[in-house]
Amino acid sequence: MTENRSDILQGTLDLMVLKTLAAMGPLHGYGIARRIEQISEDVLRINQGTIYASLVRLLQNGWISAAWGTSENNRKAKFYSITKVGRRQLRQEEENWSRMSGVIGRLLQLAERR
Amino acid sequence: MVNRISVLGHRIRGRISRRRLDEEFEQELGTHLEMLTEENLRRGMSPDEARRMARVQLGGMTQLREIHREMWGLPWLEALLQDLRYGIRQFRRNSGFTIVAVLTLALGIGATAAIFTVFNAVLLRPLPYSDPSRLVYISENLGPKYGVSQYMGYKEFAALRDQNRTLSSIAGYMFSSANLAAEGKAQHVIYGLASASFFSLLHVRPFLGRLFLPQEDRRGGPLVAILSHGLWTNRFDSDPHVAGKSITLDGKSYAVVGVLPPGFVVPERYPVDYQLWVPLATGGGPSGSFQLVEAVGRLRPGVSLSRANSELNTIFQSTLRKGEKWSVVLSNWQNEIVSKSRRLLMLFMAAVGILLLIACVNVANLMLARSAYRQKEMAVRLAVGAGKSRIIRQLLTESVLLAFAGGGMGLALAGLGKKLLILLISRNLPSLEPIRFDWRVFGFAAGVTVLTGILFGIVPAFQASKVPLDETLKEATRNASERHSQTSLRSVLVVAETALALVLLIGAGLFLKGFLTERGINMGFKSSNVLCVTVDLTPSQYPTKPAQSAFFQQVIDRIKGLPGVRSVAGDSFPPLGNRTTGLSTDLHLDGRVADISDTAFDYVTPDYFRTMEIPLEQGRFFTDADREGSLPVAIVNQAFAHTYCHEKSCLGARIESWVLKKEWLTIVGVVGDTRLRPEKKPFPEIYLPYLQAVGPYMTILTRTAGNPLHWASAVRDQVSAVDQDQPPYDIATLDELRAKFIAPRRVNMLLLGSFALLGLVLAGVGIYGVVAYSVSRRTHEVGIRMALGAEKGDVLRMVVGQGLKLALIGVAIGIAGALALTRFLSSLLYGVKATDPLTFIAVSLILIAVALLACYIPARRAAKVDPMVALRYE
Repeated sequence: MTENRSDILQGTLDLMVLKTLAAMGPLHGYGIARRIEQISEDVLRINQGTIYASLVRLLQNGWISAAWGTSENNRKAKFYSITKVGRRQLRQEEENWSRMSGVIGRLLQLAERR
Repeated sequence: MVNRISVLGHRIRGRISRRRLDEEFEQELGTHLEMLTEENLRRGMSPDEARRMARVQLGGMTQLREIHREMWGLPWLEALLQDLRYGIRQFRRNSGFTIVAVLTLALGIGATAAIFTVFNAVLLRPLPYSDPSRLVYISENLGPKYGVSQYMGYKEFAALRDQNRTLSSIAGYMFSSANLAAEGKAQHVIYGLASASFFSLLHVRPFLGRLFLPQEDRRGGPLVAILSHGLWTNRFDSDPHVAGKSITLDGKSYAVVGVLPPGFVVPERYPVDYQLWVPLATGGGPSGSFQLVEAVGRLRPGVSLSRANSELNTIFQSTLRKGEKWSVVLSNWQNEIVSKSRRLLMLFMAAVGILLLIACVNVANLMLARSAYRQKEMAVRLAVGAGKSRIIRQLLTESVLLAFAGGGMGLALAGLGKKLLILLISRNLPSLEPIRFDWRVFGFAAGVTVLTGILFGIVPAFQASKVPLDETLKEATRNASERHSQTSLRSVLVVAETALALVLLIGAGLFLKGFLTERGINMGFKSSNVLCVTVDLTPSQYPTKPAQSAFFQQVIDRIKGLPGVRSVAGDSFPPLGNRTTGLSTDLHLDGRVADISDTAFDYVTPDYFRTMEIPLEQGRFFTDADREGSLPVAIVNQAFAHTYCHEKSCLGARIESWVLKKEWLTIVGVVGDTRLRPEKKPFPEIYLPYLQAVGPYMTILTRTAGNPLHWASAVRDQVSAVDQDQPPYDIATLDELRAKFIAPRRVNMLLLGSFALLGLVLAGVGIYGVVAYSVSRRTHEVGIRMALGAEKGDVLRMVVGQGLKLALIGVAIGIAGALALTRFLSSLLYGVKATDPLTFIAVSLILIAVALLACYIPARRAAKVDPMVALRYE
């Protein structure tokens, strides 16, 4: 089942989407994808479609909500925004992430010295 | 956890509104594409290039849609629905298989559910009173000679009532009967005597008026009565002002104080329809000395049954005379009522359980045969990547689906059969609540159904998942030949169901033999064409012996005058009657040192022996001259003569009367033995001429020229003509009464017999199926054999031999199983040992005959094979 396929990438994408919504306010799918590409300065090349799986997952967990609205070019688009629970989740994920990256960083240095 | 639930909730909602979600996602993707295209245009791409690039950037649309759909759905549900749809399609395609399988399962599950409905109503449902587990029943243990008695004396009951500390409430009740006169016609009624605490113990509220007050439950207290709802409706036209009216019971006037609610029943082993109730203390002899009581109580909170038992026993001991080694026994009231039924119901449950197993085995066999045809399908599925577990799951879904079809139909069958079942066995079982379907029955049926589906599905499913891939796929269009392991598995199943059917058949056979034995018993009298009518004289109207005998003499003379009446007699304790004969206390027989005990006595009119066709062995019958004032005489039966007179003749010997000391009865005749009940052996009995010892009650026995019921109203009229206030009751023929006593065993025999018959049919069908299937598989082989010179007879023998071998193994195992199991039947059987060899042999032969027939039909088909056709068939 999709749920159990929680490899790092998937989790990372979820975190990035959440963080983007926290920083930018309500956005549609294209906006989120574009924003992530910009920030990563095109280091992270993803199929933009993959964020939809992430969005569904976040929706189902109640971390984001969705509403139909009108885009800057007068197009009907679905806008996603982070919820209160989502913010709490984000804080926790951020902590986990920095702790994890710290551990991995130190581990890699260790390997380097040898 | 909360998240899990949130996700599941979203998914379920998503599954429901799938179409809307799909559309929305489509729109979302469309917008996204447009936005990407626009951006690409801004970057300077050509329109075509921009659109193509946008698609690449977004990723595979189909895949996206699929992932989206999957995330918004319930994958296991999808799989289940898919399997179900597939299963239904499969079953539609194989309608023959489906019908046989569903019918088989419906029979098995239906029978099981029907019996469980009764089991549930009698054994599982608690008494319909508040906190029923604290209700206790108090009986007396009268030592090894008399055993446990339901009844205790009023004196002992009063002592327990007044002194105990462990019961929060104790009540006594008793049944009795009397002539009721109220609002017109006289009627004989069964009524109850109840202590004032009785109704409050059961938490009964009056429908009208009130219940008994404590001061009414006292010797010499006011005579009051509570009517049953039925009597109030039938005799008082549901008069709302009935309280305060008076009724006459055996000549005494009682004031009606209340009416009981409809549907009130006393929880008892055998249902009694009490028409009205009077206070317990007003019953019995002048001092209450003869009043017997059934005692019940409610335990105080926190008091155990054993503690209450030991306290009550201590009190009870203080009431006993020296040398009496008696005690009281407390038991849970419900247990007390149902303990006798438990064994019987367990037996029925076991029987339907076996039947259900046979049904399962049969369907499993069908599934196996079918799965051989489906090998190719399975192989293809495995080849394109379905996992084994997926295949097993699919096949199990199919079998559970099949089971549910069978279960639903079975429940419908049980609903129909329930009425018949109630009709059949309600007389055998205690009256608790009505037998009906409730959540327990439905839960049980559902559980059994699922279990059944898995039971008959699991083996075929595993078999199917082990298809050898390449071989099966490589084989030509001819269906894959059956693998050896499957053939032997099917043989094992046939052996199993034969064995199970035999166990069932032997059980039923034993009950049948017991029933036939009992029905064939010589009662010692001729029961055909005899009408019984009982009259209890109202004591106040017929206080003296001459008055009583004059009444009965008149009635008998009048009935004698009716056309078609052969002879008429009176008997105070008739065989097969409701009134149990008095057992004498110790008597003296002239010239015998030891006292005579355990002898029944009976008052009869002179024509009694002729009317009942009881043979005279020695001496003479009574005559009209044996009356008050003449020599007191007696007639004894042969059992008496054998037990007490030994070689000497009983004639002329004298017995001391138990009514008047020093009055001696001279034995003037010896007659043949009679049985009081079909299952009871004759025992010593003394007959007395009614003119010398008449009682206020008598059953009039009329031997008629044809069906006695045709004389019933004429006989009733003759009784009314003498005195219309003495209502005749219990009008029935002797044959009917006799049938009533055998009825429970008849019911057991019929029920078990029908289960066994079903089992036999199923087993026969099972054997037939396997043999027929293997014949169809071996057409080619048979063709070769015949081409090489085998005769039709050889083929016949070969095929029948194969099936018969399985049946014989099954019979052997079944006999062993039956020998091990029928021991548990001994207490339920009458007149036949649980290991009766004749039954075992006869039943085995029947089963073998059925097996032979089941083999013979396909064998004949095999023998007709034309070798040329069979060999060309490839």
